[in-house]
Amino acid sequence: MASGTIPILKIGSTLLASIQIELHDTVVDLFQNDVLQEIEKTAARGLIIDISALETVDSYVARMLANTAKMAKLMGTETVIVGMRPAVAATLVRMGYFMEGITTALSLEEGLALQNSYTKAAEAE
Amino acid sequence: MLKLDEADLTNRLAFFELTQTDFQRLAELKSFADRWTNEITDGLYELIMGHPESRVFFPDQATLARVKKMQNAYFLGLFAGSYDLNYVRDRLRVGTAHERIGLPPKLYLGAYRRYLELIHAKLLDHFQGNEAEATNALSSIRKIIFFDMALAIDTYIAAYLETMTRHQAAIRELSTPVIKVHDRILLLPIVGTVDTQRAHQIMETVLVEVVEQQAKVMILDIAGVPVVDTKVADHILKTTAAVQLLGAQTILTGISASVARTVVQLGVEITRMHTRSKLSEGIELALSIVGKRITSKPNHSEREGA
Amino acid sequence: MQVLSASAVPHEDNPLWEIRIDKEADIVAVRQCARDLAKEHGFDQFAVAALTTAASELSRNVWVHAHKGVARIKILRNGKRVGIELEFEDHGPGIADLNRALAGGFSTAKSLGLGLSGTKRLVDEFNIDTEPGRGTKIVIRKWKREF
Repeated sequence: MASGTIPILKIGSTLLASIQIELHDTVVDLFQNDVLQEIEKTAARGLIIDISALETVDSYVARMLANTAKMAKLMGTETVIVGMRPAVAATLVRMGYFMEGITTALSLEEGLALQNSYTKAAEAE
Repeated sequence: MLKLDEADLTNRLAFFELTQTDFQRLAELKSFADRWTNEITDGLYELIMGHPESRVFFPDQATLARVKKMQNAYFLGLFAGSYDLNYVRDRLRVGTAHERIGLPPKLYLGAYRRYLELIHAKLLDHFQGNEAEATNALSSIRKIIFFDMALAIDTYIAAYLETMTRHQAAIRELSTPVIKVHDRILLLPIVGTVDTQRAHQIMETVLVEVVEQQAKVMILDIAGVPVVDTKVADHILKTTAAVQLLGAQTILTGISASVARTVVQLGVEITRMHTRSKLSEGIELALSIVGKRITSKPNHSEREGA
Repeated sequence: MQVLSASAVPHEDNPLWEIRIDKEADIVAVRQCARDLAKEHGFDQFAVAALTTAASELSRNVWVHAHKGVARIKILRNGKRVGIELEFEDHGPGIADLNRALAGGFSTAKSLGLGLSGTKRLVDEFNIDTEPGRGTKIVIRKWKREF
């Protein structure tokens, strides 16, 4: 049962989760749960997580995002993280946290375009 | 303007050895001040108007009259008996005003010296030969005058620092010129040595610009960086990684033979980045990443100037 | 282990913010306090993010490893410079192998999970005092960029 703390929308075959609130650890865990349940429920091919409202992304949140993408991938869903703020990118890199293996895009539009290209590529196979 | 708080004020008064005794003494000299302020002010301006350097600041009678009036008020203020933050703010305003008109510190200090001399003479008169009392009074006056001078000099320093800060900000902006080469392609030519502070500032500027311009490709040209050691390479790597985190790509250009040699010998991992030796190649690569390319015009001929 | 610069003296009359860390929500409280103070004192967005993240990492460490501790935040002044100091103290297990904890590379779930080396790079001064069985005290400072 989705907690609904962070709304998840569906655009075509892509899920869009936009994190607008201050992330307490419990919210973080619930969010991850909600996302995965939605993927299961809707069989979405793509997931976009919008973090443009996040001023702070510490290692816990970064790990959560990376893990969520890995879990989604296991379910056949590609994740794109969009809207990272300059200060967030700088901080993560300075900490030594490079978030390997996750895909990012500058904006929601870019993220959707990326998801579309993934879908087309998958269909071509 | 310079800012002072209660603690600063307490420390300052302590260093100038201004105590309640001094404050009381100064307050008691109020009638002395009232009696002699005009003469002392006249004496001061006699010096000021007698030298061409200082005279220029008081071009006409109206200005001179106004300034003398303010000088009287200033003098009386020394004996007001209250030396709190309001007093300080008032003195700072005086200093700021002088700094703004461009009065050099040497003239300021020279004037204060004359001031003290004039006050000393009048004090001896006032205490009618009672040397001890006159000395005490002069001591207190000297303390408060030096206290004021320090405030005035500090406003000068604060003003210069502010100018320097503005210049530094301008220099920073000029030294990190991010250029829009084409739609969604940015270029930053890095010229000169890159120390840690500059490296931080480069990364920050690059990231802000990438987001603001929604750039897909960031070209970093390092042909103008004289020394590329592990530290610099590390800074470049971090910047590239950060740009990638945002969802854009970096192309490193201007890699000379010696830089290529150094970097590989040092074991620095930059193989995952796009790199090119020439900037022009970098631009071509950037264009292809965004789905464009440079082609020749259909009727182009090699015969220039024909 | 870094020695705090002797020239930086916390101001006598400065207010001190003290936040107990004994539930998970306190991590956010410490983070927000650090963030608000940094913004209030005019730190740029990168410095705000660095300090806020460092505060989050260190208070999380207290919560995760000691379950109980305290964060103390104060403003520093050194001449014209402004800085923010955060102190994290707990009577938890302490860190046995400090050198390993401070070594480079970001820790994975398998290792100590402290992320101290990463956090150290976000601040200007980092001082740690720890002993297994006694607890840990970490003090960090970040100074506002001059120009």
